Amino acid sequence: MRRRRSPARLVIALSVAATLAVFLLYTSFAGGATPSLRPSQLADHPGKVSLAGVVLAPVRGDARGDGLRFRLRDIDGKATVNVVYRGSVPDLFKAGRNVYMRGELVNGVFVAERDSLVTKCPSKYVPKDS
Amino acid sequence: MTLELVGLALGAALAVVAVVFVARPLLGESRRGEGPAPADDARIRLLEQRDRALAALKELEFDHRTGKVSDADYRALVGPLRREVAVALQALKPREERPKREVDVHA
Amino acid sequence: MPELGRAALVVALGLTVYAAGAGAWAAWRGRRRLADSAANALFAAFGAAVVASVVLLAALAGRDFSFAYVARSTSRELPLGYTLAAFWSGQAGSLLLWFLVLTGVGSAAVALNRKLVREVLPWTVPILAGVGTFFAFLLVVVATPFATQVPPVDGAGMNPSLQNPYMLAHPPLLYLGYVGLTVPFAFAMAALASRRVDERWIVATRRWTLGAWTFLGFGILLGAKWAYEEVGWGGWYAWDPVENAALMPWLVATAFLHSVMVQEKKDMLRVWNVVLVALAFGLSLFGTFLTRSGVINSIHSFTQSSIGPWFLGFIALVAAASTVLILRRLPVLRSRTRLESLVSREAAFLYNNLFLVALALTVLWGVVYPLVSEAVRGVAVTVGAPYYDFFAVVFGLPLVLMMGIGPLVAWRRASLKALAVSLAWPGSAALVAGAALLLGGAGSSLLGLVGYTFAVFVLGAIVLEFVRGTRARHALSGGGWGAALGSLVARNRRRYGGYIVHAAIILLLVGAVGIGAFGTTREAKLARGETMDVGGYTVRYLGSEQIRGANAVELRAGLAVSRGGDDLGIVRAGKNRYLAEQETSNEVAIRSDWLRGEDLFVIADQFNSDGSVYLKVLVNPLVNLIWLAGLVFVAGALVTMWPDAREQRRLARRFADEGALARA
Repeated sequence: MRRRRSPARLVIALSVAATLAVFLLYTSFAGGATPSLRPSQLADHPGKVSLAGVVLAPVRGDARGDGLRFRLRDIDGKATVNVVYRGSVPDLFKAGRNVYMRGELVNGVFVAERDSLVTKCPSKYVPKDS
Repeated sequence: MTLELVGLALGAALAVVAVVFVARPLLGESRRGEGPAPADDARIRLLEQRDRALAALKELEFDHRTGKVSDADYRALVGPLRREVAVALQALKPREERPKREVDVHA
Repeated sequence: MPELGRAALVVALGLTVYAAGAGAWAAWRGRRRLADSAANALFAAFGAAVVASVVLLAALAGRDFSFAYVARSTSRELPLGYTLAAFWSGQAGSLLLWFLVLTGVGSAAVALNRKLVREVLPWTVPILAGVGTFFAFLLVVVATPFATQVPPVDGAGMNPSLQNPYMLAHPPLLYLGYVGLTVPFAFAMAALASRRVDERWIVATRRWTLGAWTFLGFGILLGAKWAYEEVGWGGWYAWDPVENAALMPWLVATAFLHSVMVQEKKDMLRVWNVVLVALAFGLSLFGTFLTRSGVINSIHSFTQSSIGPWFLGFIALVAAASTVLILRRLPVLRSRTRLESLVSREAAFLYNNLFLVALALTVLWGVVYPLVSEAVRGVAVTVGAPYYDFFAVVFGLPLVLMMGIGPLVAWRRASLKALAVSLAWPGSAALVAGAALLLGGAGSSLLGLVGYTFAVFVLGAIVLEFVRGTRARHALSGGGWGAALGSLVARNRRRYGGYIVHAAIILLLVGAVGIGAFGTTREAKLARGETMDVGGYTVRYLGSEQIRGANAVELRAGLAVSRGGDDLGIVRAGKNRYLAEQETSNEVAIRSDWLRGEDLFVIADQFNSDGSVYLKVLVNPLVNLIWLAGLVFVAGALVTMWPDAREQRRLARRFADEGALARA
C-alpha cells in the first residue's frame, strides 16, 4: 500500500538537507577542528595545532614578561620540545603536570598562543589512580 | 574481627529478607488477584479519539475567544471536529451501558 | 563495615538479574505471579542499594580510611558537608548513586502506575532491571566503593575546585536527570514490547520525564554557576565535553516534551517520539560514560578508568535493542493522522524538534569527532568553542524565533492572515526595541542586536498569550483579573507553565548574549596603590595578606572599587593553597550589582615577589539573568508538573470507561 507523501516528510527531508549543507559548508570553510598532537608528532604538522604533554622541570622565565620557558614531553614517550608561553598560568601548572595549549612550531620552538595553556587536572573528582 | 562477622551476618540477613520478599507472590495467592480483563485495544483507541477530539474542540473554542483563531478559521475547523466527536461517540455507544454523560464542550 | 556494603551490592546484583530474567520470561509467557515477584525483586534491589549507600555514608562520616574510596577522596580536615558529598565525587560512589536513584525512581514509577498501564508493566520491570543489572555488575566486579586497605594516617583530600557549595548539589541533580530519563525509556520500550502503543505510557511517564528534564536543566545551570565562581575564567559555559554530556540529553528531552504534545493532540509522530525517548536515554548513558571514563580530553576528567569499554558495550547494546524493537513495531506505530497544514501548531512543534535534535547531534559530533578522527586517521583533534558557538547561533536563533511564533499558531490549520494579526503586537514591539537598541549603541555587536530583538519578540508573544487568555477567562467567568489569570493557568498548567519556561530561556539568552557580546576585559600589573579602569569601574590595589583558613592558606589581594567617584567598597581576590591536597585554586572576587545587572569579576592571576599583582578584571553585563533564569525555569516546570485535579478526573473517567482501571 503506497501512502501519499505527507508534507511532514517533505519538511523533514528539506531540513535534513539544509542542516547537512550548513554543516558541510561550515566544516569545509572554517575547519572547526585543530589537530591535537604530542611533541613527537609536531614536525609533521605545520600550522596551528594544539599540543598536549608533560611539563619537565626546570620552568624558567615570566609568563607576563618575555615568556615562560619549559620543555614538554610526550605523555607516554620520550620526545620533547621547547615551549615558550605568555599569558595567564593556571593554578595547577607545575613540572610533572599534563597540560595542553594551542600554538605553532617556529624554528624548532613551540610558540603558544596567549592564554591558551590549560592544565589537565588528573580528574574531575578522583585524584590520580597511580 | 567481630565487626566483620556482624557485617557478614547483616548481609546474610539482608539476602534472606530479599529472597522471602521476592518469593512471596509465587507462594501465597497473589494479593492483586486477576482484576478486570485486559483492556481492549480498539476500545482504548476510540476513547482516546473521543477525548482528543473533545479537548481539541474545547481548545478551539477558547482560542477563538482569545482571538488567536480567526472567525473564518474557526468555521472551517469546527465542523470536522464536531464530526470526529460524533463518530467516536457513535462507535462507543453499543458497549456503553450507563446513561450518556453530558458533554460540555464550552470550557 | 565494608562486608555489609559488599554483601548488599551482591544481593542487589542477584535481585536485578532475577528481576530482568524472570521478569522478561513472565512478560513473554504472561505469568502474572512471576511478574509480581520480579517487580518485588526490583523494589528489594532498591532496599539493598539503600543499605550499601548507608554503609558508604557512615564510612565517610566516620572518616574511615580503611575504605580505599574514603581515603582517596576525603581528608581529616575536610568539612563534613564536603566529606559526605564525596559519596558522589568519586567514580565508584557515583555509580552507586546511579544505581540507587535508578532502582528508587524505577520502583516508584512502577508502584505508582500499577493501575494505569497494567499490561505494560510486566515489560517495564525487566527493562529497568536490565539497566540496573549493568550498574550493579560494575559496582560488584569492576569498580567497587567497598575496597579496603590498611588505613593511612590521612586521606588524599578532595580536589579543591570541588570544595564549593554548588558541587554539593550539581552532581546529584545531574544524576537524577540522567537516571530519570530511564523511566520514559523503560515505559516506552515496554509499551512497544507489549504492543500497547496507545497513549497510556505517555500519561504514565509525563511527570517523570518532566521531573528528570527539570533536574537535568537545573543541574546544568548549577554547574555553570560553579564554573563561573570556582573555575574562574570569567565565563559560565565552555562547551567542555563534560558540560555537553548533560546538554545533549536535555536538548533531546526538550524536543520530546514538545513532540509528545503532538501525539497527544493529533496522534501523530508516534515513531518519532519513541526514537527521541531512546535517543535521550542513550545520550544520558553516553553522558555518564563521558564524565566517568575519561576518554575525552577535557579540563574535567582524565581518569583512564576500566569502566569505559563496559559502558560503550552497554550503550551499543541499548542502541541495537531499541532500534530492533522500534523497527519490529513500525506497523503498529504507524499513525492514522497526517499533518494538515505547514502553518499549524503541530508543524511549529515539528520545526522546533528538528532544530533541537540538529543542535544535539552537532554537539554530539563535536564531542565524538576527536575520537573518530584518532581512531580512523590516527590524528587526534580538538573541536573548539567556535564550532559550537557557530551552530548554537545557526540553530539557536531559529529556535528562539519559533518560540515566539509557535504559541500564536492554532492547532491543525491557521490562515496566514490570522497569524499576521497575532504577530503584529510582538513583531512591532521587537522592531521598536531593535531601533531603540541601535540608538542606544548596541549595534556594536550584530549578534547581540539580533538576539535582543528576538528576545523582545518572544517575550511580547508570551505576554500577549497571557493577556488574551486572561481577558477571555475574565469575560467568561467574571470576577477579578487576578482570579481570571489564576484560573487561566490552573485550567491549562502545561501550556502556561511552558510559557514560563520559555520566559526563563529568554532570560538565559539575554544574559548569555550580554556577557558574550557586551562584556569588557582588561589585564594589568598593579603595584601597591596603583589603579586600573575597566568598564566604568576603577580598581585600586591596596596590598595583599595571608590568612590561615580551615584547610587552606588563603592569599588575598585587597582592591578598592569605585565608580564615577562613588566608593563601592573593597573586594578580595586571590588564591587558596590547600595543604592536604597540595593544590592551589583561584578564588575570584565577584561584585554583583543587581540594579545595573552586571558583575565586576576580578581574577588575581599572579602574585609577584615584589608585592605587585597581575589582575584580570572583567565586567560581565546581565550575567545575573542567567542565574535568575534557573529559578524561573524551575518555577515554570513546577507549574507544569503540579497535580491537576481536572485532568486527573478526565483520565480517571476515560480509564473507568475502558475498564482498564481496577475499581478498587
